[in-house]
Amino acid sequence: MPATRPLPELVCPAGSLPALKAAVDNGADTVYLGLKNDTNARNFAGLNFDDRTAREGIRYAHQHERKVLLAINTYAQGGDISRWHRAIDEGADLGVDAIILADIGLMEYARRRYPELRLHMSVQSSATNYEAINLAQELFDIRRAVLPRVLTLDQVKQVIDHTRVEIEVFGFGSLCVMVEGRCLLSSYATGESPNSHGVCSPAKFVRWEHGSQALGARLNGILIDEYQQGEPAGYPTLCKGRFEVEGDTYYALEEPTSLNVMAMLPQIIDIGVAAIKVEGRQRSPAYVAQVTRTLREALDAAGREPQRFSVKPGWTQALSKLAEGQQQTLGAYNRPWK
Amino acid sequence: MRIPELTLPASMASLLGRLPATPPCWALVTTLNQLKKRDILPADMSLLAGHSFEVHVQDAGLRLGFSADEENFKVASVGDTPDLRLSANLADFARMMLREEDPDTLFFNRKLIIEGDTELGLIVKNLLDSVDWSSTPLQRFMAV
Amino acid sequence: MNTLQLTLGPVLFYWSRDDILRFYSEAADWPLETIYLGEAVCSRRQQLRGQDWIALGKELAESGRHVVLSSLALIESESDLRRLRKLVENGELQLEANDLGAARLAQQQGRPFVAGHHLNIYNADTLALLQSLGARRWIPPVEMDRDTLAAVLQQVSDKGLNIETELFAWGRLPLALSARCFTARHYNLSKDDCQFRCLEHPDGLRLNTREQQAFLTINGIQTMSDGCHSLLPHLADIAAMGVRAVRISPQWQHTERVVAGYQQAIQALNSPLHTDIDLAPYADSRLVDGYWRGEAGIAAIGEAHHAHS
Repeated sequence: MPATRPLPELVCPAGSLPALKAAVDNGADTVYLGLKNDTNARNFAGLNFDDRTAREGIRYAHQHERKVLLAINTYAQGGDISRWHRAIDEGADLGVDAIILADIGLMEYARRRYPELRLHMSVQSSATNYEAINLAQELFDIRRAVLPRVLTLDQVKQVIDHTRVEIEVFGFGSLCVMVEGRCLLSSYATGESPNSHGVCSPAKFVRWEHGSQALGARLNGILIDEYQQGEPAGYPTLCKGRFEVEGDTYYALEEPTSLNVMAMLPQIIDIGVAAIKVEGRQRSPAYVAQVTRTLREALDAAGREPQRFSVKPGWTQALSKLAEGQQQTLGAYNRPWK
Repeated sequence: MRIPELTLPASMASLLGRLPATPPCWALVTTLNQLKKRDILPADMSLLAGHSFEVHVQDAGLRLGFSADEENFKVASVGDTPDLRLSANLADFARMMLREEDPDTLFFNRKLIIEGDTELGLIVKNLLDSVDWSSTPLQRFMAV
Repeated sequence: MNTLQLTLGPVLFYWSRDDILRFYSEAADWPLETIYLGEAVCSRRQQLRGQDWIALGKELAESGRHVVLSSLALIESESDLRRLRKLVENGELQLEANDLGAARLAQQQGRPFVAGHHLNIYNADTLALLQSLGARRWIPPVEMDRDTLAAVLQQVSDKGLNIETELFAWGRLPLALSARCFTARHYNLSKDDCQFRCLEHPDGLRLNTREQQAFLTINGIQTMSDGCHSLLPHLADIAAMGVRAVRISPQWQHTERVVAGYQQAIQALNSPLHTDIDLAPYADSRLVDGYWRGEAGIAAIGEAHHAHS
């Protein structure tokens, strides 16, 4: 093991130009964004970038010597996949530093058309082992893979030790309890999924019912949860609802929880993770600023003195306020969570 | 600048609630139209046209109703069921507007109440988030 | 046009060794083109080990069935990979690759494989790529609707791609996989000490909404639909589109009746006689086909499901 590992890149989300600037201003090394259509997995109305804002954002980031990644991480659908091809063409034209792709058919297109373009394998590719990653490396020369949030730290290390591809892991944000790219719960309830439409539990299917006793959250008519007066609410993401199983009503799949790996930063650096990603392109510039600033500080501290690193209460406080459900977990990196 | 944790007293709400809402509402709509005209508010009006909105400042007892067409925002009486109603206390609205606080955080904590068309709510939230205040004199008030 | 064939998918639930062996001794006599075998869901399920599945597969193959070994869909650890390599290297039976890593191993061995529905093939380019790696058959994602599939198959035919299509046609839909085990969670157990409670739920655990609408099925680390997906009403269309086979996903009871019903329906496709086959009595939940019709997957057969508008 080398004496000092380079610090992992801090990769932060941007759903809008102000969010991108907030990320850059608060210490992100890299910002990732998507276009205003279903070629990306946060295809929400009013979110994301058009040509003008993308150009300005890239100019801003490059001026500050930061990188910009373009996420094209849905699966190209059916007979007409020109939208996805155009998005790749546009990314190349905009001069992004890399394109994040999920669909291996699109990787093939991007590699063939733009031999110099740097490609990343999206978390939506569900590559949980090095054989899958090395296949994409051999075929399309992908340079980085983002791991689904399902592996333990030892398993992440195992992947890193068996591939030349850089490994990016999630560090903070809403927790997907399912393997990314392998979850169709949303389309089962609404007809639209992350793979097909770039959305999960889409807002147009959400209805809030303000009853006298409780607030009900429905997705396409299906009751996902009810909240009593004063009880913190959650967005009705399917996997985070309360359901009844054999007479017990509880969070049968997952509590509304955020992933936060701050406590593990020294180990994450030590095993050679290349980049740490923050989830939340759908969140506001305020969120991006606060999370980026906090993780920048924590990451720098862990890099300076890994042995003496401990999580400062102020960091935890800053992040827990932003966390969905206000609970935080180390997620799958920590075995007991499973 | 940090917004202090404060709620307007109930007496104020009952007083303000009895005043006509038209002047503040007119001010809001005029501001929105100005921001849009100057390209600061990057509103895709096709997503908003034909919808009615209400901003309910709970502790001020103030209900600001307006609507949108293909070009502009207009003062409107929106009745009991606007397509979208956003309710919060004044301080929380201010925190949200100045980007001190994330709207999702306020929502999860039940401090911001969204009623009506959830997707329309998302469009409005994303619209507010996408305003680049750095091109305006208001920049110095922003937390981010 | 070829006649539509019937296949039997891998058992997605955790059944005891005896139950598995009994099930396949019966299935050997059913009118099936292909039998898929193996543990596709959870690496902790070891009533049959890799060698046992291979032995069982070879035995079934000798009785004249085409047999394919289904790989685990979520491959996380080195021991998962070791088991996968053993399956690939069995030397005789084909592999259903439910993970890109599995596709790579099959390709390296120069062995043709079946591209499982977890590989997320949503267009003809991606399909052509997998075909070039050695896929000879593919199963579209279970959420793919009829029109999208028709468009992909049109291009497959235009490109002259030599690959067969098989559709998931009956059973609880495999919707999601997780790092966490929801059955263990239900019993307040950790995944590493799950006490193999899945054995007590041979069709999974039903998950209802708070107003008692049956919604999903918990099956260890897998989440499935509660509704039983059925493409029975659409077989004529499916056959006309050039689909080669339809898959029946095993269930604890009545799988034989379901296979027989599909067989009867397929035979009726070529006959002028009208047949009315009702398989609802052999499903223990509502029959759904929303996905096929481009609706929410939960939409029941014949039901429009646009609750949001």
